[in-house]
Order: sequence, then structure tokens, then C-alpha cells
Amino acid sequence: MDIQKDNKEQFSFKTYAWKQFKSNKIALVSLYLLGLLVLIAICAPYIANDRPLYVKYKGEVLFPAFSGETAKYIINKGKENEETIIYDRFPWKQKKYEKVVWAPIAYSPNTMDEYNNDYVSPSGAQRYMSPDGKIVDAPRKFRHFLGTDKLGRDLASGLIHGTRTSLLIGIVAMGIASFIGILLGAFAGFFGDRGLKMPRIRYYATILGLFLGLFYGFGSRKYVVSDGFSKSTLNGFIEIMISLLIVVLVIWIVRLLSRLIKIKSLNKEVYVPVDIFVSRGIELLNSIPRLILIITVSAVVSEPSIMIIMVIIGLTSWTGIARFTRAELLRIRSLEYIQAAKSLGYSYSRTIFKHALPNALAPVFVSIAFGIASAILIESGLSFLGIGVPDDAVTWGSLLNLGKNYPEAWWLIIYPGIAIFLTITIYNMIAEASRDALDPRLKS
Amino acid sequence: MLRYTFKRIITFIPMMIAISLLAFIISINAPGDPVDRLVQSDQDGGANANTAGSNSEQKEKIRKELGLHLPIFYFTISDFATPNNLHTISNEDERENLKELIHKYGNWDQVQKYYESIKSTQVVYQDKTINELYSDGLALNKSDSNSIAETWNQIGMALTKMLEENDKDVTESNLSILEKSILKSNYFPHLKEGFSAIVQENLNLESTKTKWKTYIPSLHFYGIKNQYHQWLFGNGKDRGGILRGDFGKSYNDGQLIKNKIWDRIGISFALSLISILIAYLVSVPLGIYSAYKKDSPQDRTASVVLFILYSLPSFFVGTLLLFWFSNPDNLYWFPESGIQNPITWDENWKWYELQALKHRMPYLVLPLITYTYGSFAFLSRIMRIGMIEVVGQDYIRTARAKGLSEKVVILKHALRNSLLPIITVFAAVFPVSVGGSIIIEYIFTIPGMGLEIFNAIQNQDYPMIITFFTLAGFLTMVGYLVSDILYAVVDPRISYK
Repeated sequence: MDIQKDNKEQFSFKTYAWKQFKSNKIALVSLYLLGLLVLIAICAPYIANDRPLYVKYKGEVLFPAFSGETAKYIINKGKENEETIIYDRFPWKQKKYEKVVWAPIAYSPNTMDEYNNDYVSPSGAQRYMSPDGKIVDAPRKFRHFLGTDKLGRDLASGLIHGTRTSLLIGIVAMGIASFIGILLGAFAGFFGDRGLKMPRIRYYATILGLFLGLFYGFGSRKYVVSDGFSKSTLNGFIEIMISLLIVVLVIWIVRLLSRLIKIKSLNKEVYVPVDIFVSRGIELLNSIPRLILIITVSAVVSEPSIMIIMVIIGLTSWTGIARFTRAELLRIRSLEYIQAAKSLGYSYSRTIFKHALPNALAPVFVSIAFGIASAILIESGLSFLGIGVPDDAVTWGSLLNLGKNYPEAWWLIIYPGIAIFLTITIYNMIAEASRDALDPRLKS
Repeated sequence: MLRYTFKRIITFIPMMIAISLLAFIISINAPGDPVDRLVQSDQDGGANANTAGSNSEQKEKIRKELGLHLPIFYFTISDFATPNNLHTISNEDERENLKELIHKYGNWDQVQKYYESIKSTQVVYQDKTINELYSDGLALNKSDSNSIAETWNQIGMALTKMLEENDKDVTESNLSILEKSILKSNYFPHLKEGFSAIVQENLNLESTKTKWKTYIPSLHFYGIKNQYHQWLFGNGKDRGGILRGDFGKSYNDGQLIKNKIWDRIGISFALSLISILIAYLVSVPLGIYSAYKKDSPQDRTASVVLFILYSLPSFFVGTLLLFWFSNPDNLYWFPESGIQNPITWDENWKWYELQALKHRMPYLVLPLITYTYGSFAFLSRIMRIGMIEVVGQDYIRTARAKGLSEKVVILKHALRNSLLPIITVFAAVFPVSVGGSIIIEYIFTIPGMGLEIFNAIQNQDYPMIITFFTLAGFLTMVGYLVSDILYAVVDPRISYK
């Protein structure tokens, strides 16, 4: 009896899925590689930096790589050999130090090495100006391991820092997409067309409230919001949040007011076709090729920035997630425990978010992982084309484009391409393996 | 069946309207003034006078042609303070400024008076050049003509700025400039009246503020004489509207977009259709084979290879192929760009003639590979999964149990049903290949739609971009429609649902 009980307790879906996942060796390796990528992204400024990590210069100890870009420091203050170091202008590589520790790659992604410009090959001769002012063969620690581009920017450093962009794309774009997708998909699946019932007057009041809310939240506040964005992106987002809050508040107030109206014919209960609204929205977004939609929208945005690209990708790629969530909730809503929750009189939000949704998230997770891979693919495609990305941004896609324009520099083609390919493969592998682990029926 | 088709077509129409609305919304939010762009592209064409007068007249003409003097949509939702004829103000900056002023003060009558006072002063100002003033004897002191000219310019600039900006500090500094140069210097007495009017109206703005009006929403109807309607249906005269295939003119060279697209779309279409065809021809047998030999070494190898192909970005593959196979330093098997050799290509050749095809063949090999491999990997995987699913079903077991050979079971019984998912996927493959054409045509410099769009984006040629957007949406919708109907034909269960 006891043993049986133990067995029952030990079996949980999570541990089962994790076990399944672990049994797939390639997927496990992919997971570790993803961890490595995250580590690289976090430590990027210390792996590839112009300035030394640690230096002892004229008797003073400095940590240049760990300070701000434009930091300033005065050494030997008040003494006769006083010297002001402006961090981003100081010729770090042309000085003699008592002690120095360089970053593994001694270049920042945007530094132009004037001695090694015009496509220096990784294996070819590389030059370096020594502290004595002589041009010599670059010592090992100052070599460009993966070569340079036309302006003398170090490729390895660009790749390391590009990791940040590509991971950020995944987090921001898919964060937005999952939020919208899960929410809409959950509503559409849970309510369907005949699940949400309300008095006709409340239904109309909600629509009116939405309209009024948009008017007061965004129409009346459009100058406030655009002022916020001109101050800083963060300010803008705060203003948008306030606007959204106003929208919700107005809807709530209008619905509350609608209770005062007591006309019998208006108080008849009607169904709200939630599913139709959401499904039509999904169909509309799906009917425009995604790359074209994103390119068109980013062409209209006046100021190119990677952040905007991420937001656009996020806003346009929620459909897959919404479809998965919808399908799962369609299944779950007819299960007995949801019926039980309903008959116990739990509120809709409690039933959906506390009871139904957690059981639906496993397959949704798979579609998010696939979504990250395709978001990275789209972003690198856009920066390869140079659309919507600022000219000076160093991303994997833009590096590859440099190689396309100058095929002799094979290193500019191979390395960024492999970086993109590996990252996408890692995500696809993880997604595939977790699909197999979470839903054995789909195992291929 | 017919009923299902009919129903499906009915839902097609609102989706098309939605797409057209989306395209229109994006297009009216495009930065820059279309009139300026078109005037510029006309002048680049070389046949225009440069004087300011004819320029503004020409602008007004183009505005009329484009229908920009019309309201944007059938109706607008704005606040109670905003009048319904703001769209008649042609200068975009001034229009935006007026909107902001209305939002600030909520009193359109007063805002209008203020605007008119500046505008009429500007008219008085522009009526005479500084030299005419000298000959009129208005500016007496000819000795320091430099500083007079400078003051004159400052007045002009301040007036323009006042029309376009309403920030409190900016307005005040402009007013003080005007005060200094009009009131304090005695050079331009004819502007004094206008200036005092501006000051008065500016003061009145604050005192007659009715901010409450901006909190009441209001709806204006304009009828069918609006920009969206004209964009869709044309104006009955020179513009046909997109429904009749008139997409307007390109900002870039003033050419008709219709003609530009017609010249380019053939090659893109041919490329994507050929590649989809190849992908289907290869992936269906491969998928069947993989499923048939499930878990054998061949299947495993095929799976891994397909997985890698699936994850390889097309721009990387394209660049690599260029680098390896059309590079004088490596293998120079294929030409690196374009679809024909300008020297040996004969203008009289039709594209379907044998020699033309032969001539173009080497140019198309690398692009076709790049085009095909992605969808090929995608399709094979789907085919394999579908096949495995079907093979596991009861009726296949029955077929085997009654002693049919494995070949008959797979090819006759299983194949038909496993083809279902791959038919629906056609609708998904098509838009991907339309989008992918931008990248591939950019890499291989193929003069098709994709490259044209790439150039349009570089030059911010918005009408072209929007046209492509609308067309791509339309074609994809048609793709969905066709595949849905096909699906219903193949699987009759669908239409009875």
C-alpha cells in the first residue's frame, strides 16, 4: 500500500517530461549551448573589449573595461606626472604598463583598427603599433582572430556582441507575442462563440466603453504619449501603460453605469462571439506574408532601431501561439474539473488563469521556442538587407551582408552565417525535443 | 461542395477589405509629403521651371491629382472642438500645428482667427520683395541695407515658424523677434497692423480657452468623396483605383506602378512556382520513403539532413553558393548576377524559346537551389509525419491483414490520405516564397519584384511598397482560398462540418 502511494506521488508530468527531454542527447547539448550563449551575451563587454580588464599604470590600479564608456580618470593627482585618462580616447594598446590583463578579444565591436583595415584575413599578416611607435607584426593577444572588415572592425568582437541582439530579439519579440497570443488564444478557446454570456446592454456598454477608453486613453493623450517618447523610450512606455490603464478604467466605469439602465429588452442575455473576433484577427495577420508585413511597417517607421524591429516582430507573430492556446483550451474547457470550477461559481478569470491555462502551457511553450528561432531568422534577414536597422549597428546579419558585398573576405560570410545557423538550430532542437517530451503523440 | 465554396468566398471579401484598410493605414502614416516627392521626381525628369510660384502651383495640382485635398476616410472620430474641414489645409506641418492648437485650447474659432492673423501677415509679407520695398520708399535707410535684409529674412522665418509650431517658448521667442524687427525698427510699417493682430489673437487664445470641448468625442461623416474611396475605386476621371489595377505613380521616377510591376512580376512568379514544384516533386517521394523505412539508418540520416537544411537561413545559403560557385577565386561555374548576359542576349528572343531558356539556365541554377531547399525540407518533414500518422491507423492494418503487398498498402491506401496536410501547406509555402524573393533576388540581383521592393524601401518609395503589400496579401488570400477548396474536394468531410 505504502509503495503504491509513493509511486503515485513520484509520478508528475513535469518530471516525466524532463526525463524524456534529457534522454534526447542532442537536445540536452543544445540546452547547454543556449546557456553558453546567454553567458556570452551577459559577459560580452568583458570578453571583447578595447580596454584592458585590469591595468597597473604609473603605480595606479585601474579596471577600465568595467567602467562607463566615457569615464574620465586622473592619475597621480597633484603630483608632477599627473595625467588625465579619457577612457574612450586613451590609446590603451600603445602604452606601457607595469601589469595588464587584456580581454580575450582586445577589441570592441565598433572600434576601427586603422592598422588592420580593408579586410584583414584571420590567417594573414596583421599589424600593430607598439608603444615605441613602430609598426610591427601583431602579437598574439592583439590579433584579430576572425579577421576584420573594411573599416578595420574586429569580426570576433562583433559576433560576441551580436549574441546580445539575437538573444534580446528572442526575449522581447516572443515576450510580446506570447503575452498577446496566450491571452487572446485563451479567451477564444475558453469562451468559444457560445461561452460568454452577458446582458445585451453590458455587451453594448463594453463596446462603447472600449471606444471611449481609446478616445480618452490615446486620442486625448496622443501629445502626452509622443512627448513621453521624445524624452526617452522608458517614459513613452510608461505613458502608454497609463493610457492602457485609462482604457480599462473607462470600460469598467461604462459597464458599471450600464447597470443603472433597467429596460427589459436590453437586459436579455446574449452570446459574445469571442472566438470569431480572435480567429478573424489571426486569419488577417496570417494572410499577409510576415516578412513583407514587417518590412512594410519598418519602412514606415521614420527612425530605424533594433528595438522597434523587435516590437514589430512581436506584434506580428502572436498568431501561432494564439492558435495553440486556443486549441488547448478548447480541449480543456470540456474537462470535468473545469465543469466543477464553473459549477462552484468561480469567476471566469479565476477559472481561466488559475485552472485552465496552466495545463495548456506545455504545447504553447513549444510554439514559443519555434517562434524565437523564426524571430531571430527574421531579424537577421532584415539586418542582412539593411532594412529597419541603424547603419552603425553590428549584428550577425549586417556582418554577413558585408561579406556578401565583398566575397573575398570569406570570414565575413562563414562565421556570422554559422553563428546565425547555430543559434537557430539550438532553438529548433530544443523546441523539437520538448515537443516530443511534452506530447508523445506527436513524436516524429 | 458548392455551398462550401460559396461560403468560403463570402468570407474572402471582408478579409480583403481588412487588408486594404491595413495597407491604407500604413500608407497614410508614411513619413514625408508625397507631393514634395513627386515634384522632385518630376524635376529629376528634367522638364520643370524652378520658380517658387510655379512650384507651389504645381504642388497644388499634384495634390488635386492625388486626391490629397479630400478627407482621409468615410468618417473621422475626433473631439467636439475639431472642425470637419481641417483636411483642406494643404501644408502638413501647419495642419498638425492647428490640430495641436485645437487640442490645447479647444476653441476652433479663436484658433482659426489666430491662424488667419499670421497667415494674412505672411501674405502681406510675401506680397513684396525687399527690393520693391526700397523702390516704394518704405525702407528709408538704405545705408545699412545688410542688416535690413537680415531683419526682413528673420521676419519671414519667424512667421513660418509660428505657423508650424506652438510650443510656448518657441511662440514667445518668435513674437519677441517680430516685435523687435517690426515695432522697434521703423522699416516695415506695413506689417505693423498684422503684427498687433497676431499679438491680440495670441492673447485671446488663452482667455477664450474651452478645453472641455476636447473631452467630448464626435463623429464627422464625409461621404464617398474621400481618399480611401478614391484609392479603391478611382475618381471616375484620371485615376482608376486599385480595384481596376491603378496603383498610382512611383515616387522614385514618376512611372506608373502598374507597368513597373507588370514588367517584373513574371520572373519572380516563375522562380517561385518552379521552386515549389521541384520541392513537391522531391519531398513527396522522400517523405514517403522516410516514413516507409521509419527509424532505419536512411531515415535517420534524411531526418538530420532535413533538419539542418530547415535551420539554414536562406541568405546564408545564397551567399555561400555565390561564394563557392560563382567566384573567380573558387569555382566559376555560374554567372554571379542578373538573369541574362547583356552582350549575348538577343532582344528578339521570347522567354519561352529554347535558346532563351538555354541562355538563362546557368543564371537560374543557384537562385533556384536557394529558393527550393527551405520549402523542400519543410515539406518533406510534413509529408513524413503525415505518412507515419496514416500508417498507424486501423484501415492500414486491415489492408495489411487481408494480405495486400506493402507497396499497394503504402502507395494506394496510405498515400492519398497522407497527401491532405501537404495540400493545405501550399497556402503557407506560397507567402514564404513571396517574402523570400526579396532576400534571394537581392543576393543574386535578379530583376524581379523582390529586388524592386528592396530598391523601393531604400528610396522610401511608399506607393510601391504599399502596392506590393496589398498584392502579396491578395495573392496569399487567394492561395488560402484555393487550398481550402482543394482540401474540401479531396476530403469531403470538411464541407459537411
